[in-house]
Amino acid sequence: MNTWRYIKNDDVSASAGLAADEVLANHAGAGTSQPTLRLYTYKPCALVGRFQTIETELNLNYCVENKIPVNRRPTGGGAIIMGEDQLGVALVIPEKSGETYASVRERMAQFSQGIISGLASLDIQVEFRRKNDLEVNGKKIAGLGLHKTSTGGLLFHGSLLVGLDVPFMLNVLKTPFEKISDKEIATVSERTTTIRRELCESSRLAQSLRINEVRRIILNGYKTAFDTNIQLGDFSNEEIDEIRQLEKDKYMDTNWIFQTTDVLDSMGKSIIKTDDGLLDVRIVLAGKMIKSAYIGGDFFTSEHAIADLEQSLRWHSSQEKSIKDTLIQVYKRWSGDLENLPMESILKAMTLAIQKAEIMARKTSSDPYGCFVSPRGVYA
Amino acid sequence: MEKDESGHVTVGMDELGLDSLGELVYLTLPGVGTPVEMGKPMGSMEAAKMTGELCAPVSGIVIEKNDAVLQNPLLVNEQHYDKGWLVKIKPTNWEEESVSMVSGDNLAPWIEAEIERFETKGILD
Repeated sequence: MNTWRYIKNDDVSASAGLAADEVLANHAGAGTSQPTLRLYTYKPCALVGRFQTIETELNLNYCVENKIPVNRRPTGGGAIIMGEDQLGVALVIPEKSGETYASVRERMAQFSQGIISGLASLDIQVEFRRKNDLEVNGKKIAGLGLHKTSTGGLLFHGSLLVGLDVPFMLNVLKTPFEKISDKEIATVSERTTTIRRELCESSRLAQSLRINEVRRIILNGYKTAFDTNIQLGDFSNEEIDEIRQLEKDKYMDTNWIFQTTDVLDSMGKSIIKTDDGLLDVRIVLAGKMIKSAYIGGDFFTSEHAIADLEQSLRWHSSQEKSIKDTLIQVYKRWSGDLENLPMESILKAMTLAIQKAEIMARKTSSDPYGCFVSPRGVYA
Repeated sequence: MEKDESGHVTVGMDELGLDSLGELVYLTLPGVGTPVEMGKPMGSMEAAKMTGELCAPVSGIVIEKNDAVLQNPLLVNEQHYDKGWLVKIKPTNWEEESVSMVSGDNLAPWIEAEIERFETKGILD
């Protein structure tokens, strides 16, 4: 039976937490440390995905005013908040020889099994769905990401929602909502869930559920799912030195946190009238890729179906044919729920929003005084 | 990787790697004039929420980068041996480094062996 190391931490800073995960993955890849499962919580912070534009994703003014640190993960995916009610799950293992980039989705599904198995012991049935989310009855309970280090280590990271302060999250993350009202809070609550909420909804006392209890459940989930002996340990002295250095050199460096890339984000929106109400579509475009999409309006439809639609269009080609192919797939999954929202209307609104974003991108790139040009950071 | 008559090397990703990786959604590449070292990161990528480094297959100086794939990373998936190239490098240590590379008549059996290995591991259908 394999033996993994288990490390538990609480209340870690964004920069130290991210540096620790990366150092552990580097060591696992190089074979100088054993595979490690780290279950930890952060001091309240906001983390964007590897290639996100921080100004597009976070309300930086709110973060500064409320002293909320912001940082950039090495893993992909979207912007998240982390704090005492979000359990960080980091699994670092060496990539098997020769399996470079093998079956990313399968890997992600495999590494999630510890979380799925752990939550099953609470009778919470979790599914691995869409672009790598863990969901309970269509509501997201954990976001996942994967990073391969240059030493051949794999870092799997999950952010598991034990609880969630939705108004706080809406203040920190930039959303298409013009104001944060009860309706917006209800919309987000329809699309996400937490362990405490799931336990409450199944008539069990959950508010008293402590993070340590969740940690124990997830630890057992990994032991069961991987048939592995996982022993409590700590960072080695060498790892601690490297974490301090990497924190200083990378995760406390504004060149990493606020890095820009060759392809700038541009935004586009379109509002069109349909027979069942107004349709409001907003997108963030980077080159020919849709980074994110928001679909709103006053039509009546399933929030889960809209969430699926938006997720399916994230990191998606902006070509009309490709969008249409994806819409056909989503409409097949939600044929009844989306009947008040004709597919042709979505396609038309998306196309218009993309055209506007492309015009904005051209305008920005042709007007040197309208954009900021920064020297590329050492990690870009 | 392809070497032309002037000795410059065009770097891209092969079908085998892309098949297991999935659709690329974001890329960063080194700028023209950047020195790169064989086996060391020269850029980065994201596919299906996995991020990773793009390592230089040969040491040298970047003489051209493909802006089209930065704008549309799916070009790498769709036209990997044509418009989906990443960078062009002027090698600085070709004679020594090329010894460990597979090329010419040895390429076909190597690819077949790789495909068989991937299929055995269940990575490819």
